[in-house]
Amino acid sequence: MKHLEHEDLILAYYDDPAAAGARAHLGSCEACRNELASIATVLDQVTPSATPDPGDDYEARVWSRLQWRLRGEKRRPRVSRWLAWASVAAVATLGVCTGIVWKPRNGKIEVAATSTAPATAAQPVKTTTAAPAETPRDRILMVVVSDHFDESERVLVELANLNPADGTDLRSERARAESLLVSNRLYRTTAKERGEEQVATLLSELEPVLLQLAHAPDDISSDELRKIQKRIESRGLVFKLRVVRAGVRETSPIPQSNTNI
Amino acid sequence: MDPNDVELVQRVRSGDEDAFQQLVARHSRALFGIAWRITGNTADADDVVQEAFLRAYRRIETYDGRAGVATWLYRIAVNCSLDLIESRRRREAPLTAVDDLTRFSGEGASPERTAHAAEVQRAIDAALTQLSGNERTAFVLRHFEGVPLEEIGQILGTRLNATKNTIFRAVRKLREHLQPYTGSLV
Repeated sequence: MKHLEHEDLILAYYDDPAAAGARAHLGSCEACRNELASIATVLDQVTPSATPDPGDDYEARVWSRLQWRLRGEKRRPRVSRWLAWASVAAVATLGVCTGIVWKPRNGKIEVAATSTAPATAAQPVKTTTAAPAETPRDRILMVVVSDHFDESERVLVELANLNPADGTDLRSERARAESLLVSNRLYRTTAKERGEEQVATLLSELEPVLLQLAHAPDDISSDELRKIQKRIESRGLVFKLRVVRAGVRETSPIPQSNTNI
Repeated sequence: MDPNDVELVQRVRSGDEDAFQQLVARHSRALFGIAWRITGNTADADDVVQEAFLRAYRRIETYDGRAGVATWLYRIAVNCSLDLIESRRRREAPLTAVDDLTRFSGEGASPERTAHAAEVQRAIDAALTQLSGNERTAFVLRHFEGVPLEEIGQILGTRLNATKNTIFRAVRKLREHLQPYTGSLV
């Protein structure tokens, strides 16, 4: 009598629809039943744990992260260079208007006037105040930087998970890197001036990777992609981004209404 | 009345982002579950869920209605999980700390047996991390999720015999790893 292959015994264990023939044989073959019992001895022990609860707000968190990426999708194809610079200009203008851009000097912060104090267009009035522990404007900066880290992390994670052998299409990641790069420069300068050393350092480390990605050719070679992946990995950038972002969020609770700045 | 999934897909195709948000709300938890089973940790499962929905959004035009939307999303999530495992493996970075995917079934016994059970459980989890991406995925789908072989083949893009062989290899490796314990388990 020809006995069942192990593949068929395993299917019989699972009572898989594909094991119909095997079941008939098992009815009349003790040797195969014994072998099935031996397989069952092992497989019966492998029982699943309950899936961890991702939290009540999981769906909302997924959507919140996903929205950013869908925006990136809508920007396809490639964001033009002038548009990227226009976005920097817009951020800078917003920064000036809301007082985000500081110039610390002798322990004091010079804030561009946003008050109702009279000013002429030619000579904007500047007020000098002692640096507060944390102003609402600090928080705005941190919100913006936190979102920047969030988006950067996503780009790096996607990049790290690409398979160089698959003939990679980097257009989406490159467009996002271009956009992130210009913001990164602005935030790095601002963070440095503001004395946010940890944030500034991380932004400095992030910049060469964004630069490399933003200038990657359409037909990036697998070696080139591996180099970028290695750079991300060797510097532990994704981990650092998570840590610093968590720190930023902890120290600067984000007002919900400002998250879209 | 809430629109069904197929109606939501049609609305997404015409540019309705809110419809996509509803699909995310309906299915993200289930996708997290399967992604966690395959990848073995919550951080990776989170990334897989993100990637799966992004792929679904990009490929919304390819949904042909033959399977349910939930099944379609489920398949995408499985493939994303598989891609993540394989990309890690190629870069020789083994799966990071794996959560306890399995629970030894002999709980509630004597302290000795409980300690032994914990040891076996660690061996099972370690054995699962040694499986290739395809083996692990096929095993998880068949063993934990109860997905029939034919459907696993469709998800993995393999023929029936190849799928059968993949599960066989997974089980054989598990048996090899667990051989030192099986005598006392009977």
